[in-house]
Amino acid sequence: MSLKKNSLWSFFSSVKLTITLLALIVLVFIAATFLPAYEVFQTFTKQLSPGAAKVFLFLQLSDLYHSPLFYFLMTLLSLNLIICSINRFPALWKQYKAPHFPEPAGIFDSLPQSQIITGNKEISKIKPIVASCLKKNYGSSKEADTERGYLFYAERGRLSLFGVYIVHLSILVMIAGAIIGSIFGLTADINIKEGESVNVATLSKGNGIHKLDFSVRCDKFIVEFYEDGTPKTYRSDLSFIKNGQVERQGTLLVNHPISFDGFRFYQYSYGAAPDIKAIVTYTTAGKKGGSMALAAGDTFDLPGSKARGFVLRVEENIMQRGPAIKLRIISPKKDIQFWVFQQLDQLIAMNPNLLTEVPMFNPGLFTPFVFSIDRIEQHYYTGLHLVRDPGVPLVALGGLLMIAGMIIVFLMSYQRFWVRMKQEGAKISISIAGWSNRNNQQLQNKIDYLCRRIKEEIKA
Amino acid sequence: MNHTMILSWVTFIYFASFVLYLFRLISGKEFWGRAASFLAWVGLAAQTIALLLRWKNSYDLGMGHVPLANLYESMIFFAWAIILIYLIIEWRTKSKIIGAFVVPMAFLAMAYASISPDINNRIAPLIPALQSNWLTSHVVTCFMGYAAFAIAFGCGLIYLLKNMEKGDVEKPAGFLGRLPALATLDTLIYQSTALGFVFLTIGIMTGSIWAHYAWGSYWSWDPKETWSLITWLIYAIMLHSRFVRGWRGKRMAILALIGFACVLFTYLGVNYLPGMHSYLQA
Ligand code: HEM
Repeated sequence: MSLKKNSLWSFFSSVKLTITLLALIVLVFIAATFLPAYEVFQTFTKQLSPGAAKVFLFLQLSDLYHSPLFYFLMTLLSLNLIICSINRFPALWKQYKAPHFPEPAGIFDSLPQSQIITGNKEISKIKPIVASCLKKNYGSSKEADTERGYLFYAERGRLSLFGVYIVHLSILVMIAGAIIGSIFGLTADINIKEGESVNVATLSKGNGIHKLDFSVRCDKFIVEFYEDGTPKTYRSDLSFIKNGQVERQGTLLVNHPISFDGFRFYQYSYGAAPDIKAIVTYTTAGKKGGSMALAAGDTFDLPGSKARGFVLRVEENIMQRGPAIKLRIISPKKDIQFWVFQQLDQLIAMNPNLLTEVPMFNPGLFTPFVFSIDRIEQHYYTGLHLVRDPGVPLVALGGLLMIAGMIIVFLMSYQRFWVRMKQEGAKISISIAGWSNRNNQQLQNKIDYLCRRIKEEIKA
Repeated sequence: MNHTMILSWVTFIYFASFVLYLFRLISGKEFWGRAASFLAWVGLAAQTIALLLRWKNSYDLGMGHVPLANLYESMIFFAWAIILIYLIIEWRTKSKIIGAFVVPMAFLAMAYASISPDINNRIAPLIPALQSNWLTSHVVTCFMGYAAFAIAFGCGLIYLLKNMEKGDVEKPAGFLGRLPALATLDTLIYQSTALGFVFLTIGIMTGSIWAHYAWGSYWSWDPKETWSLITWLIYAIMLHSRFVRGWRGKRMAILALIGFACVLFTYLGVNYLPGMHSYLQA
């Protein structure tokens, strides 16, 4: 008991502290959503005196959610919650263990007339009626013969007394989960080009790299669009390779993460890899020649001539005219440059004089070779986010507990009923009283119902 | 009739219903109250049909999704939820007075959704991040919560209006006398707040489950997330001051107003701060 007199203890067991802390946390959050981002801060604090800048940095005003101030408030709140709960427990336990008899003093004293039934049957006849009625509605009942009359007792929802504890416990469980996640968790990003595999990830917030025990290969990346250009699907086909063996293959979509080896992988971003290739074919005097996969900077030889080709540019879509490459061909006699368009036929259909107006668009400029583009091979890289958060199960458990606790707190209550039978002259009077820890309307409905049932049963 | 047409009619019906609730309040004649709630029921039914049509329509357009995916759709759902919860309360309490304070909120939401130039009412396809079943449960629970808080707000307004005149003492006659008893209002404020609190809690949870699947983090301190937590804490403070410190009446009414201001900021104000939820801007 000396513990309770301790002033620190009483400080932490006050609900005023709870409300103050919650209000302070609200203020911190409001500030956090309005304070500018880190970069803005740096320029701003530079203009202040060094002392003020230090205070600003110490309080981490640019990231209040991870600041000592916020951690301090959360610690106080958790202590407050724990100590309040401990403090309140003995009283709660007493309520939980409260005996059925004797009934709370005075509970039958000022009953409304509607809760008193009179009849002229014998007590011994009515006893089983009341007992069965209570049993039907509350599962079981206790009885006792006292000098105040013959008493029945029934109850419901005793465990609901602990609903508040479940809610408050759930908050602590969630906080614990968040702490575990922030200490032992890890988030990182990787970009993987189609067809390649990667086994190192870049840690978020510039904390270096993390080497994985396995490697991830991107077999294919697909992005699809709706008609209006809104992205519809980002999809990566991944293989997870451990010790040289593909252990798992899966399709990764936004909202459908894949778990492997303690990590969860998320589809996060994508981009075009810089090495775009054109599959180029050529004909020599109408006869089919070879086919080459060319990237910008590649060179190639043309068989049967002393010419050498250079790929100057490879474009996926140049000036809205589709894929094209720019070639330079050097032979002992000539040094020419020209463009090869994949959709040359369409371009000529739109402008029949194209090749005379712009000779450089003629893919047959280096006779007798005529070049054309089969297709463009554009590789994508997929941007994956990977997360390891061992706190998630606890947070999820906390969430479930909170919902369960709230249902108990708001919908259930501990209800106790006493029925007393007394001989009063020739008549017998039955009084029905109840007690509940909250929600008096529900209790009243139950009592009214009991009265009606008992009346009906007695009449029958 | 297409759903846009029906929804314009519904806006008009809610306005008419509001006017009739006002008649009821001022004249004290039960007839106007019955007419008003009849109109509200008609509006609710029509709006339900319109929402279903819009849902079906999105499938016809080849991008089928529940009509809860952008600001316009959420606004319409908000109005729907306000009327639904209000009518349930009206049916249970048999009092048609608070309609005059609650139905106009649904009307305003509908009107704002259709008039505001910032709000696009076209059915838009879902970007990959929104393609989740959690979207539906998240939006439904959040907005049921918001609607319950809107009703607590309405009751809080009536309470303060009534309270202004003569403190906590009941005044029998006149216009104010027709308002529900202070004790009734206090109970209604508490009950709708508790209902809203449970919904908001589930709404925040479904939101973080969704974030867990979509972004890999159940909580990222995005401004909208933070503001939903602020709102939650305000209502938690409100409930605790009642549970533990026994606050009743005027203080609860004021907290109901503050809480609803937070709801509105979480819903609309935050969109002007940058963050993941800013897709709602367009
Ligand atoms: C935000 C975190 C919360 C904190 C820090 C907190 C803290 C507290 C504290 C310190 C008490 C006083 C206990 C006492 O009487 O000694 C209390 C009471 C209570 N809390 Fe919370 N609470 C929180 C959330 C909740 C939630 C979400 C609910 C939802 C139902 C809730 C329901 C209650 C109830 C019903 C009581 C009154 C218990 C009674 O009847 O005596 N609390 N809370």
